[in-house]
Amino acid sequence: MSNLIYLLLRRLRAPLITLILVYAVSMLGYVLIPGEDNNRDLYYMTFFEAFYFVSFMGTTIGFGEIPYEFTQPQRYWTLICLYATVITWLYGIGSLLSVFQDPAFRQQTKLNSFRRAVSRIRQPFYLICGYGETGRKLVEELAHDGVLSVVLDPEEGPINDLEVNDLPISPLWLRADASDAQLLEYAGINHPRCSGIISLANDDRVNLTIAIVAQLLNKNVRLIARADTKQAESNILSFGANEVINPFETFASRLALAINSPSLHLIYEWTTGPRDRRVDEVYLPKKGRWIICGFGNFGRTAYQYLDDIGQELCVIEPDRHRRDVPAGAIIGRPTEASTLKKAGIDEAVGIIAGTGNDPDNLSVLMTARELNPNIFRVAHQNEEKNKPIFEAAELDVVMQRGNLISDKIFALTQTPLLGDFLRIVQRFKSERANLLASRMIAVMGDEFPELWEFEVNAKETPALFDRLNAKHQVLVEDLLRLPDNREKRIEAFMLFLKRGEGNVILPENNRLVHIGDRFLMCGTKKAHHNVQIMTRNAQYLEYGLTGDLKPDSLVWRKIMAKLAR
Amino acid sequence: MRTEKVVFAFFIVLALTLNFGFFLGDFSNVHHHNVYELFAAIVVNLIATVLKFGDRTHLGSVFLATSLVAVLQLIVAALIWGIHSATAGAEMDADTFSTIVSLSGGALLANIISVVLLVAETVNLRR
Repeated sequence: MSNLIYLLLRRLRAPLITLILVYAVSMLGYVLIPGEDNNRDLYYMTFFEAFYFVSFMGTTIGFGEIPYEFTQPQRYWTLICLYATVITWLYGIGSLLSVFQDPAFRQQTKLNSFRRAVSRIRQPFYLICGYGETGRKLVEELAHDGVLSVVLDPEEGPINDLEVNDLPISPLWLRADASDAQLLEYAGINHPRCSGIISLANDDRVNLTIAIVAQLLNKNVRLIARADTKQAESNILSFGANEVINPFETFASRLALAINSPSLHLIYEWTTGPRDRRVDEVYLPKKGRWIICGFGNFGRTAYQYLDDIGQELCVIEPDRHRRDVPAGAIIGRPTEASTLKKAGIDEAVGIIAGTGNDPDNLSVLMTARELNPNIFRVAHQNEEKNKPIFEAAELDVVMQRGNLISDKIFALTQTPLLGDFLRIVQRFKSERANLLASRMIAVMGDEFPELWEFEVNAKETPALFDRLNAKHQVLVEDLLRLPDNREKRIEAFMLFLKRGEGNVILPENNRLVHIGDRFLMCGTKKAHHNVQIMTRNAQYLEYGLTGDLKPDSLVWRKIMAKLAR
Repeated sequence: MRTEKVVFAFFIVLALTLNFGFFLGDFSNVHHHNVYELFAAIVVNLIATVLKFGDRTHLGSVFLATSLVAVLQLIVAALIWGIHSATAGAEMDADTFSTIVSLSGGALLANIISVVLLVAETVNLRR
């Protein structure tokens, strides 16, 4: 605020001084020029009268000649002063308006109101740096879930759309560079309600800077960052990021999973995939020869992952100057049938179009289908606006960077334990993954998978907390008894337990529950509700543990106590 | 030498000298104090105040504060003069006039502080 006033005053210095001088000279003139009163006697105006007259003359209000009708010399002087004061006023008002229009001033006003708004936040919020496709999706998902977001993005463009949005919770936003430490502070990095920072810039260096600044300003804040290359990923991780998401790697690893371990792929889809539709069928690309078109970031990552699971690969790279293409790569335009034939499209099982150009990618895949109708087609969609074309092309898999990352980040914001869980699960052997997937299907039935987590503490699970505090033993399976009927089980199970620094994957039923345990649960919405009843309501918990139904009311309880005696 | 600094120092010193000129003389004697000098002192003090706008340093804030005090005192003095002459006629009594002069004396003190600050800043300036 003070900044604004100083800026304003500084810019208005010249007009204000001009105004003071013109008023002073005019007033002095009126006081010195002799006038006449009604009796034609000599009369000099007082300073007050002069100031009064100049004030209404300068503002063009004009009440008339006071206190007595003017003499000819006074009128000459009025004529001069009239123009002088009016022009000075116009100059002053013009300068004032130009200050208000000034980009620096407007940015300052915006910054001030943004700061005030952030400091007034009284609910948990996420700080999102970078408002591209991913950012937009994520803000939307968070808003629909009732979570506030604070958005920073340095560029004109999508962020301006936030001015008119129809989200249930309107995000706070500022067009500013998030790698500026001062701005991160204004945006609430040290705010007690800040749940985390999500850095989604297109440039890895920006994400890295944000990670460093965030780490230095607030060590405890949760940081989720995006990185497009392997080096940036490990670099950002070393600066204390909780999760780093590499869109290409995420996609390529999913693809490899779909080929190699379909159940793991399903588990990933259920836990980090879109929330509005459930994927039950795994598209099953066969093992065999794959063609990768374009060896950029996307193609390279796909190559690594498919190579790891032992697929036969052939790379087509249009740029003949690229150095690091693998041996046996074909240099040529992948959009041409002859190049594709050379790469062995006839016996290939799948083709990945991963160039940086959407029309090229589509064209490659159209040609590929003409040559080999059964081929499995994977496309990299670079730009959000091309979505309808890719949908119309009916490809087997389309990688939409924005959706992919935003879904995953949304899942991580909702259930932070998911990151640890998935890191362990990805090393599961096929049989174990199959087992886990079938357990998940068993609990969720036909509904959407619901993931949630809870911590055993006084606030989240008061009944359970009190019971454990009273030195009672509670087993994991006790928490999953149905509140209406303890013999039946809630349709949910624990995916993961974090106790201090220790991790337990799929905790057994007879494991003891401790205070401070954090559980990652999987089930249905109803199961979520039932578990909440069990952990928060002492009556139900008592019933679940012992089978005794204690009466609710005080009177009834006393009667029961008497009867028991 | 910079014109901006010359102008700045000029107005601050002029504000002091005009104020002093008005203050000088017998307290209750109207003939020792010129109304035009008071007017000039107010105008110059106003200009000095505006010149001090927009300096965010600590010294700048104190500069601005002293000027605001001076302007406030001088304007109150002028108001008393104006109201008195409008209500009680042209005759000025010693009581009212000594109030006016003492108010300008207060403004004078503020202006002296302002000049002292100016001098201190100049002395501290590294060449």
